Parts: sequence; C-alpha cells; structure tokens
Amino acid sequence: MSLFGTSSGFGTGGTGVFGSTTTDSHNPMKDVEVTSPPDDSISCLAFSPPTMPANFLIGGSWANDVRCWEVQDNGQTVPKAQQMHTGPVLDVCWSDDSSKVFTASCDKTAKMWDLNSNQAMQIAQHDGPIKAIHWIKAPNYSCVMTGSWDKTLKFWDTRSPNPMMSLQMPERCYCADVVYPMAVVATAERGLIVYQLENQPSEFRRIDSPLKHQHRCVAIFKDKQNKPTGFALGSIEGRVAIHYINPPNPAKDNFTFKCHRSNGTNNSTPQDIYAVNAIAFHPVHGTLATVGSDGRFSFWDKDARTKLKTSEQLDQPITACCFNHNGNIFAYASSYDWSKGHEYYNPQKKNYIFLRNAAEELKPRNKK
Amino acid sequence: MGRKKKKQMKPWCWYCNRDFDDEKILIQHQKAKHFKCHICHKKLYTGPGLAIHCMQVHKETIDGVPNAIPGRTDIELEIYGMEGIPEKDMQERRRVLEQKTQESQKKKQNQEDSDEEEEDEAGPSFQQPAAQTPATYMPPMAQPGIPPGPRAQGMPPANYSGMPPMMPGVPPMMPGMPPVMPGMPPGMMPMGGMMPPGPGMPPMMPGMPPGMPPHVARPGMPPIAQAAPVTAPGMPARPAVPAAITQSTPTKPLFPSAVQMGTGVPSTSPASTSADTQSASSKPLFPSSAQAQQTASGPSSTTSDPPKATFPAYTQATASPAAPSSSTVAKPPATVTSKPATLTTTSATSKLMHPDEDISLEERRAQLPRYQRLIPRPGQASIAAPPSGAASGMITPQQGMPPQQPGIRPPIHSQYGAPPQGMPGYMPPYGQSAPMVPPYQGAPPGPPMGMRPPVMSPGGRY
Repeated sequence: MSLFGTSSGFGTGGTGVFGSTTTDSHNPMKDVEVTSPPDDSISCLAFSPPTMPANFLIGGSWANDVRCWEVQDNGQTVPKAQQMHTGPVLDVCWSDDSSKVFTASCDKTAKMWDLNSNQAMQIAQHDGPIKAIHWIKAPNYSCVMTGSWDKTLKFWDTRSPNPMMSLQMPERCYCADVVYPMAVVATAERGLIVYQLENQPSEFRRIDSPLKHQHRCVAIFKDKQNKPTGFALGSIEGRVAIHYINPPNPAKDNFTFKCHRSNGTNNSTPQDIYAVNAIAFHPVHGTLATVGSDGRFSFWDKDARTKLKTSEQLDQPITACCFNHNGNIFAYASSYDWSKGHEYYNPQKKNYIFLRNAAEELKPRNKK
Repeated sequence: MGRKKKKQMKPWCWYCNRDFDDEKILIQHQKAKHFKCHICHKKLYTGPGLAIHCMQVHKETIDGVPNAIPGRTDIELEIYGMEGIPEKDMQERRRVLEQKTQESQKKKQNQEDSDEEEEDEAGPSFQQPAAQTPATYMPPMAQPGIPPGPRAQGMPPANYSGMPPMMPGVPPMMPGMPPVMPGMPPGMMPMGGMMPPGPGMPPMMPGMPPGMPPHVARPGMPPIAQAAPVTAPGMPARPAVPAAITQSTPTKPLFPSAVQMGTGVPSTSPASTSADTQSASSKPLFPSSAQAQQTASGPSSTTSDPPKATFPAYTQATASPAAPSSSTVAKPPATVTSKPATLTTTSATSKLMHPDEDISLEERRAQLPRYQRLIPRPGQASIAAPPSGAASGMITPQQGMPPQQPGIRPPIHSQYGAPPQGMPGYMPPYGQSAPMVPPYQGAPPGPPMGMRPPVMSPGGRY
C-alpha cells in the first residue's frame, strides 16, 4: 500500500523547511506530520475501525478538544472536524461501526460524537475525571465502558442517563483496554483487574501486579486464534510486563522487559528511566509498539522476546500512539507529558502527531 | 572450595581453559580477556553481553569471543565465571583433571606436574587436550555425525595459546569447526531437550534486551537474562542456545541467591496458578465464577509475600521470574536499584524520570488551574442538561468539590467567547460557563445569571 510514497512533503507541509534548515529533533524519524495538530498535549489517538474504508484519526488533547483528521493514502492529512469538552480530553474510542466517537474528559463527562451529524452529546457522568473509555460490542449488548478517577467503572447504554452497571474499583482507574470478551483495568497503587464481558461485565480476577511501579498503560493482545489472551502493562519505570491470563506455565510465559531507558551501557552515569506512556499492538502481526517519556518509540516482538526497532529521540516525550485498522500506519504524538513537572512545560512548544508506515517494521522476528 | 555438586575443581575459564584460584579472579580474567570490547575497552559480563554492546553501541557484530581457544569462541553461550559452562565441558574438564592428578601422582615429576596443575596457560599437557577436546566438540554437537576422535587429536595444540601447533592436522580441522558452530544450536536442541522453538523462550524470562547490555550479567540470571539479549539481534539460532543452557541449569542451580528466589517464586506461584491452569487449561478465557474464585484465592496466597524492600523479595513478590532481571538494573551485588512498591528512587545507577508522587502524571497536570477553568463546579447542573433538551445528557449529582478544582475562576470572562466556537451543535453558548460562575465569583456577567436557573432546574435531578 503506497501509504506515503514520496509525499513526505505533503505531510510535513510548511514545517518541512524548518526541519531541513535547523537540526531540530522534533521529527528525527522524518515521519509524516499531521496537519493542524492540537494546541496542547495530545493525550490519546485512535484510528477508525475496519468498518470504515478510509482511515480517520481521532486525537484528544489537553486543550479540551477532540480533532478528527482523514488520513489519505498518499499520506496527506485533512482536518475534518472538532469537538470540545470543558476539560482536557483524556481518552477517545470509536464505536465498532465507525459512526460514533466516544470521548472522555477531565470534566467528568463522556460524550458521544456522531460524525455524520457532527453532533456530540453527553452520555456519561462520573464524580471524577474519566480516564479511560472503550466501546464494548457483545453479542447480546453494546455499551460504553468508562473508568474514572472516582474509582468506579461504569457501563453506559448511550440512550440512558443512568449507567447500566457500575463496578467499584479498589483505586483510581489509570488505564484500560477492551478486547471482547476481556477487559483489563490498571489502577493506582498498582492495582490490576481483569473483567470478563460475556453476558454482562463482571470482575474476573484481580492480579498481583507484575510491575513494581505505577501503572501507566495497558494493551490486550490476542493469540493466534484472535482471542484475547493476555495484556501488556507499562509502568512509569521504563518497563513493560507481558502477562497471560491463563498461561500453561506462568513462570515461563509471563515476563517483563525494560525499555525507554538511557545510558544503558555506561555504568558510571545514572541511567535515566522513563515512563512508558502507551502501548499498542499491531493488529496483524501481533507485535507491539511502546512509546515513552524519553521521546522514543520502540517496536517489540513479544513472542521472540526481542526488540525490533527503536527510534531516534524526539525532543519531546511521546504521549500516545496507535495503529490503524490494518496495521499499515503507526501514529504517535509528540508532546509534553508532565514527566518532569510543570517547570518543563512550554505552552508555546508545538505538539505533533506523526504517521509512520508500519507495515514492514513490525513484522515479527523468525524465532527458532 | 565451592559447592560440591557443581564444581569440585578450581575455577577455570571455559574460553581459554585456564585455571584460577578463585572464581572472582576467574571473572576478572574473563572480563578483561574475553568480554572486553575491542573498540571502547568496556568490560562486559558475558559473551552475549559483549555482542549486544558492540551491536548497540558501535553497530558492529562480533563473531566470537576474543582470546578464546578454538572451539570455545561461541559468543552466544552465556558463561559467567563458572556458571553456564555446558555440562559436557564440565565433565570433560573433570576427566581431564582426574587424568592430570593421576598422571602427576604416577609420574612424580614436579616440573611437569606443576606446569600442568598450576594455573598456567597450557593447562593440561598435550595428551590431556586430546581427551579434552573431543569433549569440547561433543557437547555442543551432540551429534555423532562429526567424528571427534581424529579431529580432537589434531585440535589440542591449536587450542592453547602460545602452543605451537603440534599436528598438521589442525588446519584441516579448523574448517571443520564452522560447520560445527552453526550446528550447535540444533545440536543443542537434542541436548537441551526442551527446545521446541517457541517454548525455548520461556526459560529466558526476564530479559528483553532493550537498554541493558551492560547489566546483562546478573548472577543468577545470566543464562536467562542473557538469553534475551541474545535474541535481540534476532538471530534465529540464538533461542536455541539459551534454552540449551538453561536445560543444563536444572542440574546445577544458579547463583544461590537466585536459587532461593527462583525456588521461592515457583513455590508460591504454582500453588495458585496450578489451580488455575489445571482447571482452565483448555477452557475458554473466562471459566466459571467458581474457578474464578478459586483463582482469586490463588493470587492472594502469593500476595502473602509482600514486596519487601529488598532485592530477593522483589523477585519473590512477582509470580514471574521477570522480576530478577528487572531488579538487576545494577550489578549483581547489592546495589539494588529496584524500587519495591515504593515510588521513584534515585539511586547511584538510575533515575526515574517521573515526579515523586503517588499520583499519575495526568492527575498532577489536571490539578493545575489552567486546566480547570472550564470544568463545571460541583453544585451546578451538569453541562449535559441544557434546556435545549439534548436530553440524553446524564445528570448525576456531583458530590462535593472535586479534588482537582481549587476554585480558580478569574478567566471566566474569556470563556464566553469560547463556548460558541467550541460547541458545535451541542452546547448552548451560555450553558457551559454559566453554571460555574455564579456561586463562586461575584462577577459573573448578567446574562449567565439569568440563564442559570433554567439550566439548574433540569439538572435538578441530583
């Protein structure tokens, strides 16, 4: 698929000049820049599901907005629409039929954005900012799942003001992922809960965290039969745990690996350990990508337990990433994630979303 | 000296067959001679560690271990001191030593004996090598296909640095070696026995190589941790090697501390997980709730190993052996950089780039006033209840002041400009800011005041 071809000019647009004259490292990987990026840090990215033939990218930001771009095959990005919340947007997701986008915000509400009519209406309310939102499509029901800092996980039928179900969590929801029939939520204080969604959502198991630091991101992976079988969990300590739900040999099958660290080879200087901001699995290959506060992204093959690639370092942390439905495009957002506190926040600094051709680089390694 | 079971003999270097008094000295020797980067002179801990270092730092590949005798140059074999030496080589060595001692007893030739027995380069005499070398080749190969006998005879002299090749047969033998090497991994397979490609991985839990080439050589984990970096370059043969190595480890425990950890972990986790796996092995992902409860009790038993603030406990607390590698950010000894259950630490060897707080980055950021401007205050109707009746707004009571809103509302005025632009088709222009303003500031413009009540009432369903 000639996704980007020779069209790097399009994507970079006016900033292409900057990139060439200065040695700025805002795009060291020379990836396609999305036009009209948000004005504040990008918190989440989501590509449209396979039901939509074209690629549409949704990005939520700390500027309270959610933007939609069409990503064309030649790499050109066209801003299409925008919606606002009254607080920073923390998570976005698509409905399975590609007609709606759900957005979750610090304003404690979640909205359903109908792309056809460009209308957004509130569908959820929490007592605290909503950190995670996912669409659940089960054979016998469909709903939106929202996880909030108010320690509840609520499930909403978008037609009703009251939640279909509300589950109490031990702590604030920090991240979640859903691949029917499995949902996993990672909370503060290193909590980790797996839910099963058949019939109706219910808590399946609370898992002792394989990580020793604050959980930051989680992504479910599937087995060869396309069934969810485990998840990858990232923490603030530059480490990702691969955890299977029912492995034949947990001690052997589950493992963690370090990532997003610097100065690895030099023992004399302290090693900088960065948070893993997001994890995304390639929909076809099953390999994963991690992005970190160090401003790099890495591709990994969890079955061969090897690293496939690490990018050059961007000058800002990478805060979000996602793959499009067929795995040809890898989108990642470069913006400040607050990892060094507010002192390092520069509101004037431009935020970027980059698109990269992911068809080749994420092929699994042949393992013996 | 040392553990009986494992090595009754003095520490010796697998790569060059030299003997040493002490394992520490042996390790120093290995680091200086075999695991030293020829480009930057950095000393690594193991062969694979060196390979990875050169690959990652210098973008160079290494074919073999520097200063190693032929036949012992495998860069993929994870050997640290006496750990990781293939069992065959160990046996071979023992045989050789026995022969040596017998010989020395018999001959009573001090000169010769001391030469042979002491940690000299030559090590065993020429005759010994003959016996030894076959073993050198045998273990890796485990394939009778290569007749080691005649070759072995020719090998020995070449094996010792400084020893002039005794037999002209050596050179012809050498070419024989390369085929041997590639053959190793498959050869190791039968030896390893647990080589099925995928499962070959499992023994190497901890290690994704990513940023830790130097740290690879953790005692207790070298075979395992190294195995991961070994696979990093992605060579297909690699997985076989670590698996083979670990295959031999069951018979000889790893470093004692690791053994405790290793045994500690499985002892707790299998108890819980075995229940899971037994009941759920072939089941769908989510077995019945009964089993779920059963499994729920399992994990709770493992949590009885509370993550202590110590290195080993860190390993134990996690059900997977992943912990060892993660905790071994620093060197094997106690420079523990792992932060057990507590947040962020700055140690001599690592620094966590994360504010030292118990909250997430987003929570921290959301507390800032600049991000709270537009968020509706508690006590207001939620935005979702505009009189225009975008009905499906959920209005649930907002309880109390949300912690993230310290109540800064000065820029209210500017907000009025914002909503119209920002609320296509959803928010009534006033609805957003109006609710927030009145109760807290005296300054809300008139219109919102008037508008507020209508907003409030539908929202009355608190």
